Amino acid sequence: MKLDRRRFLGSSVGVAAATGVTAEWVWPKHSVSYRRPHSAVAMLNADEYSERIEALLMEGLRLFRLNVLGRSILLKPNLVEDLPGAVNTNSTLIGAAARCFLRLGATRVVIGEGPGHQRDTELVVQAAGLKPHLAERQIEFVDLNRDELRKVKLKANYSGLGELWLPRAVLESDFVVSMPKVKTHHWAGVTLSLKNMFGIVPGMKYGWPKNLLHWGGIHESILDICATVPIHFVIADGITAMEGNGPLQGSARQLGKIVLSDDPVAADATCARLMGFDPLRVRHLSEGCHFLGNLHEDRIRMLAEGVGAPTRPFSVLPDFLHLLAAKS
Amino acid sequence: MAAMALSSESSEASELGIEHLLRLQRPDGGWPAFLGDSDGSWTTSLALCALNQMTDFASAREKGFHWLIAERGREAHWFWRWKFKTADRNVRFDPDKYGWPWISGSASWVIPTAFSVIAIKQFTVCNRSEASEKRIHLGVEMLLDRACVDGGWNSGNSVVYGVPLRPHVEATAIALLALQDERRTEVIQKSLSWLRQNAAGIDSVSSLAWCILTLFVYQEPVGGLKNRLATIIGDGCDIRNNATLATAILALKCGEMIHPFVVLR
Repeated sequence: MKLDRRRFLGSSVGVAAATGVTAEWVWPKHSVSYRRPHSAVAMLNADEYSERIEALLMEGLRLFRLNVLGRSILLKPNLVEDLPGAVNTNSTLIGAAARCFLRLGATRVVIGEGPGHQRDTELVVQAAGLKPHLAERQIEFVDLNRDELRKVKLKANYSGLGELWLPRAVLESDFVVSMPKVKTHHWAGVTLSLKNMFGIVPGMKYGWPKNLLHWGGIHESILDICATVPIHFVIADGITAMEGNGPLQGSARQLGKIVLSDDPVAADATCARLMGFDPLRVRHLSEGCHFLGNLHEDRIRMLAEGVGAPTRPFSVLPDFLHLLAAKS
Repeated sequence: MAAMALSSESSEASELGIEHLLRLQRPDGGWPAFLGDSDGSWTTSLALCALNQMTDFASAREKGFHWLIAERGREAHWFWRWKFKTADRNVRFDPDKYGWPWISGSASWVIPTAFSVIAIKQFTVCNRSEASEKRIHLGVEMLLDRACVDGGWNSGNSVVYGVPLRPHVEATAIALLALQDERRTEVIQKSLSWLRQNAAGIDSVSSLAWCILTLFVYQEPVGGLKNRLATIIGDGCDIRNNATLATAILALKCGEMIHPFVVLR
């Protein structure tokens, strides 16, 4: 049989595709799966950061019937910079979450963060207004950039990093709560509960920023980190969110929502829909939905309020216009 | 940092600190970021600064120096320089001007570059070579290239997606230490002015301590800042990080001991 150029190319593509499928089957990129048949999401309406948030959050958390009795909780907010505006997870919400988990029977609540750019973590904690909330209930804050470290083999292999040193405070906690600020991100498209986990990677080893993760691929590193340190619950701060050139220089966008979920992919997919984006177009979500959680709406049970279309999609940098969901 | 801070306090403790530091040095001359790690890292420059204060340990210093000379940001490779010049232009910087990374395999950043420049400048006070001068020059050029629009330094770059980044106190203070013996260009003057203005409003121990260490070298008054730092620290019990505590001690002792980051060239 004569092999012309078209046939050769067609065969090559076929062989490559088959090799890829076979390679994924023989050497899967992840050794764990946290995906369940269904996940739950609750969207709470809140127009402002006030003392009423604690009661609202408690009501929302009770919908999930969480069993945190006797458990050690790590709250991982998104505290990035000592900047005003919608940059950091709001401290009123963080404080309310800490108090709620203690009321639900947790033995210990630790707030941990390792800011990615600002090396002086104390400056970020001060600027975020977190100190009064820590003092009030003697809640401990751990600088994850400088905690004691242990080397951990990654449970997925998208980035090629293989292993990471991770903080003891993270590895020893029983229940990890990711508390992102709902924001656009100039490298990743969005920064939500999964991207928020970059903050557990210690600056002491990997620097400020944790540039090795960028070289390994942002989406790939997100998948590897979240496969290794599973997120048990999400409380996303979407009361005042950020659009445009996030995560630091974007504009505040009033969204008026707190998104809760027992599944980080479901939480992030819901937040993406709220932002007017198609979650399948966010690479770490489209891949993460195979093993980190559920993305599709038919697998997400809404416990409170459904996702309405946003009145206006979040503005994005030109590189991320492809994220915008098609108008129905 | 602890070894530096203890050098004027207790000779026994300082000797123990230095012994520990020497034990941690890797066969290739680099130092790991922490006990238990096996890779050379950005802390090599700090270790070299600590040893530069001593008259001994020539072999360890020499090895550390050579490790630093060989280390470079990933953009030093022609392929990445070409990519950053042609395809990846969202971050404004000149990739021909590279310095040192936090960890091998990543790009150059301001703080590790500044510490490395200081360490090499100190080490080569009496034994300059073409290679050391070239790396110092390149590191200084990198720092000047990455300066923020109105002075000062962010962690790495000055403009991303056309928007100027604002300076960080620590990065600005440490970059200025690396540039202390350079010609006082407008960038340096503006950065010093920014640091002077912002120092008065800082309430965090680490940033304030670095301000003091830098402003002292530039012969600015630091008495008021030292008093404020002492008040913030109190008995020091709330400071959990040893590096922060050591930096604070060094800042409070400015003028009473040899400045560990001073460059006498």
